[in-house]
Amino acid sequence: MHIDLKKELKQSSLGRIGMTILLLMIAVAILAPVLSRYDPTQQTAASLVSPSLSHWLGTNHVGQDIWSQLLYGARISLLVGFGVGTLSLILSIFFGLSAAIIGGLYGRIVMRIVDALIVIPMVIAVILVAAYVRPDVLVLIFLLSLLSWQGGARVIRAQALALKEKGHVKASLTFGAGRFYVARRHILPELTPILLVEFIYGVRRAVFVEAGLAFLGIGDPMLISWGTMMHDAMRFTYLNVWQWWLVPAGVALSLTIIGLTFISYATESVLDPRLRGEAVA
Amino acid sequence: MLKRQNLVTYIIALIFILALNFALPRMMPGDPLMAIYGDEALIAMTPELKAQLVERFALGKPLWEQFGAYFLALFQGDMGYSYYYNAPVLKIILSSLPWTLLIVGSSLLISTFLGMILGIESGWRRGSKTDRTMLTGLMSLNGFPDFFLGMVLLIIFGVILGICPLAGALTPYSGLSGLSLVLDVLKHMALPVAALTLAHLAGSYLLTRNTMISVLKAPFMLTARAKGLSQNALKYRHAGRNSMLPVVTMTGIWMGRVVIGALFVELVFAYPGVGQLTYQALLCRDYPIIQGVFLIVTISVLLANFAVDLLYTRLDPRVIHAY
Amino acid sequence: MLEIRDVRVNYGNDTVLNGVDLTLATGETLAIIGESGTGKTTLGLSIMRLTEGKVEGTINLDGKDITTLSEKEMQRIRWNRVAMVFQNVNNVLNPVHTVLDQVSEPIIEHKLKSKDEARRKARELLSYFGLPQNRFSAYPHQLSGGEQQRVLLAMALSNDPGLLILDEPLSSLDVTTREELGDLLRQIDRNRAQLVITHDFDTASRLSDRIAVLYGGKIVETGPTQEVLRCPRHPYTRALVRAYPNMTTVKDLQGIKGRMTRPVSGCPFHPRCTQAIDICSREMPQLALGEGRGVACHRGGIITLLSTVNLSKSFDLLKAVDSVSLHIEAGEILALVGQSGSGKTTLAKTIIGLYQPSGGSLYFEGKQIVSRGKDFYRRVQMIFQNPGESLSHRLSVLESVMEPLEIQSIGDQEYRKGKAIQTIEEVELPRTDDFLNKYPHHLSGGEMQRVAIARALALDPDLLIADEPTSFLDASVSAKILKLLLNLQEHRGLSMIYITHDIAAARKVSDRLAVMLDGRIIEVGASNEIVTAPRQDYTRRLLSSASILSRIERL
Repeated sequence: MHIDLKKELKQSSLGRIGMTILLLMIAVAILAPVLSRYDPTQQTAASLVSPSLSHWLGTNHVGQDIWSQLLYGARISLLVGFGVGTLSLILSIFFGLSAAIIGGLYGRIVMRIVDALIVIPMVIAVILVAAYVRPDVLVLIFLLSLLSWQGGARVIRAQALALKEKGHVKASLTFGAGRFYVARRHILPELTPILLVEFIYGVRRAVFVEAGLAFLGIGDPMLISWGTMMHDAMRFTYLNVWQWWLVPAGVALSLTIIGLTFISYATESVLDPRLRGEAVA
Repeated sequence: MLKRQNLVTYIIALIFILALNFALPRMMPGDPLMAIYGDEALIAMTPELKAQLVERFALGKPLWEQFGAYFLALFQGDMGYSYYYNAPVLKIILSSLPWTLLIVGSSLLISTFLGMILGIESGWRRGSKTDRTMLTGLMSLNGFPDFFLGMVLLIIFGVILGICPLAGALTPYSGLSGLSLVLDVLKHMALPVAALTLAHLAGSYLLTRNTMISVLKAPFMLTARAKGLSQNALKYRHAGRNSMLPVVTMTGIWMGRVVIGALFVELVFAYPGVGQLTYQALLCRDYPIIQGVFLIVTISVLLANFAVDLLYTRLDPRVIHAY
Repeated sequence: MLEIRDVRVNYGNDTVLNGVDLTLATGETLAIIGESGTGKTTLGLSIMRLTEGKVEGTINLDGKDITTLSEKEMQRIRWNRVAMVFQNVNNVLNPVHTVLDQVSEPIIEHKLKSKDEARRKARELLSYFGLPQNRFSAYPHQLSGGEQQRVLLAMALSNDPGLLILDEPLSSLDVTTREELGDLLRQIDRNRAQLVITHDFDTASRLSDRIAVLYGGKIVETGPTQEVLRCPRHPYTRALVRAYPNMTTVKDLQGIKGRMTRPVSGCPFHPRCTQAIDICSREMPQLALGEGRGVACHRGGIITLLSTVNLSKSFDLLKAVDSVSLHIEAGEILALVGQSGSGKTTLAKTIIGLYQPSGGSLYFEGKQIVSRGKDFYRRVQMIFQNPGESLSHRLSVLESVMEPLEIQSIGDQEYRKGKAIQTIEEVELPRTDDFLNKYPHHLSGGEMQRVAIARALALDPDLLIADEPTSFLDASVSAKILKLLLNLQEHRGLSMIYITHDIAAARKVSDRLAVMLDGRIIEVGASNEIVTAPRQDYTRRLLSSASILSRIERL
């Protein structure tokens, strides 16, 4: 079935909203130095100052500018999000595709391991590791990817297996093509929609988890992410500070995740023939 | 994601978990005992105790012997000793676990059922204003992390409106019993459960809604309509019943997410469950507790998934047939 | 009990039912026959108001027009007054409920009985339709196709509806089940009316008293089932019967030319009809009822093309043709079988005018023929026995075929050439210049006969008289010529009088058969009836001496 992905996505109103939000966040992340005046890690004023002209969102308990932190926080979330999304996808493709193409004992072993690892909740495992090893951003990305590729691998393998049986793939085999040629030329391109869906999933989940871990106090101590902001702000809920400290961070985080959710829904709807032709998306 | 696992998969998962738990501290540079217990705990130990523990965990001996010792200890219910709480780890965890189970269980139940009902109604009215509003609304709600929702709820209902307590599972030193005790517990768990439920509602809603959409196109729906059945009978007994099945398969996965969410939410509400425990342990590096929590949580999730698999086979007649 | 008047159903721009009229009385079973896409399922669904399309017209159930009822009122009627047995496809029953539950459900829902009584009744119904007891608590996917059909039948009767609609009730079943359920269905229609929707004549024949044929969203023919099947009056019904493999007819299968399209105006069948005239493309014919049968055709059904009344031809004292009364309908092949000397060729030549009749009269399309002019010859043509003689050895292929066109002054030279080449292609001959310039003595027997046929077709006649067209040809060639004639009938809607001494060939080609002996027609009727149940001794002798290939005694 031929689906024009780009065209369909453009038509989805939710997809467009999501894309807009995401692009906004990316813009914020990139333009952070331009849009803010201070270094988020430097103390630039007294603690817990209310919003003013010099500090648009006031300062936190250590005197750091909240507005700057908000903008630079986008960088962390998006960096970890896309980093994990990419690395996780690569691993998913590698294991899922190879399991489907090579099959046999290798395939079965891989899928067993995948099934087993899927049940283990990612966050707890990271907590355990984090207790021993204080992760910096790169280690975190690596760790999260290691624990999140399994879902994608399963889906990719299932799709690849189905594609393997298709007529035009079998025809290639009769022309003398090898398995890897078939994988590269016929299967991988057909997988593109699924890969896109998995990628968005991965990014979304990573943004979520990174924020959560930062909220718990695990994470690169050098960097201020939205999660860290919320972690710090939590202690001051009885003061008015939450209005300009907690809420903006939470809202920014939530907005990013919502944007990704909408994009994810739009891509899924396009792929699932049952849901096509919907009024909303 | 509708594959059924079988026992072997769970056993492999179990092995992975145990292996991770076992290997991690022992791979750390330095004294393995310190890695297992944490350096601050070590200070409090006497040399004899240290020697005893080394003996017990077979440290210094080949790895597989160590694993054997580790496994043996585990079997006997010995998950280590926390020097901060001055009690065996297992006991500490077990005393916090019920609270976590309470809020996890409640929110899982409510979110799943509420999500299913909303999903059925939404799918039935697909494309209508109600459907579109619910869809957009719930997806947006889904974007809020549970801890942020918790904080927002806390601020609104706790700080501003003051109708809900700000922390804890019980009013301290109240000495309540019977009905008042129950009410007190309910008052304290209202917000945490609300936060968790709202955050995870979208999962079952979306799945039910999407399944509903394809079920409504099935031939047996026309048959049911021809029988002159009422709208409710069509919606729930015929379409709904078929739309429920995928939700059951996913419950295991969702449970994992809700458990994790609970850890965060407990933090926000200072709820004395496993999450609080873990946070404190992280702060003071009480490794035995962290390891114990890891073990208990993951194994619980594993067992829950297994139970759900068994349940599914009883619900879908087509699967019974396969057995 | 059920009366449908001028019902139209359309899905947006697509008109599925275009003015359907039907009546059904209690105790009657009516079959609606139609091929796929004719709207028969839509008809069934509209009676229950379950279509997604827009329904116009009147549907009177027990005197009340149900098209005006609200959805809530319809819900009360459904299953209680009219129930449907749906086509047995996958998932027509809910996979998560047991069959017993699904059969008792409508009884309980409509509050007809208590739960226990409902289940008891459900059990009775399931047993009645032959479902074994141990399958009552099974789920649909655990049952075989035949068992599912039984469940569907039992379920439909659960609320004792006055009208039962059955959509292809027997089509997915094996032979024994088909017979068993067919019998059961025939028994239960005492105080019920049944509407059977099917594309299958066997089902219709088995289950129904009356039949209505649906084409292009309209009913084109109605009548008692056996009569209509035996003697259809509408060209479509006849063509459908000809296309249907069965043990009754003996003629080879034929399709219907063209495809089912929905013409903008006029009779929906006219592009494919064997006897369409001008008005057929303009106006829609209405269903005209008479003597319990109805036909929707501007010409009143299949017309009689040619008929002879007591036609005789004598040569001095020899009565070669003795008082022959025959008729041939439009689009029909009539075989005239007789031995040499029976007078069949004389009859043919008399009809075409090579002999003047000594007595009796001849009618073409109802008008008496006294003298035959060019008009007559445009409508009736002949093919002779010996192609070597019937073709002039002085004329090339092209010239021979163009000859009739020249004689009748049709069109200009260009046109005649084009038309001739067209018919030459129609008889499956090459259109190369090389071939067209050939002379008969360069052609084989089969090729010559084809040229003769092409020549006869050049004028687009309605009736072709073929006098032993294959007697001079080899068997393998004859077979091809016979097939060609059948194809021509299919494509052009020709009528044919096929004269032969070979009754075995006759029955493969003809719809009706006349046996001639000593100048008289001793027996005439539908080919399959004559061949399987001859009434005259002579006919029996003809049959028994006809070619038999295998003489191995069957024990």
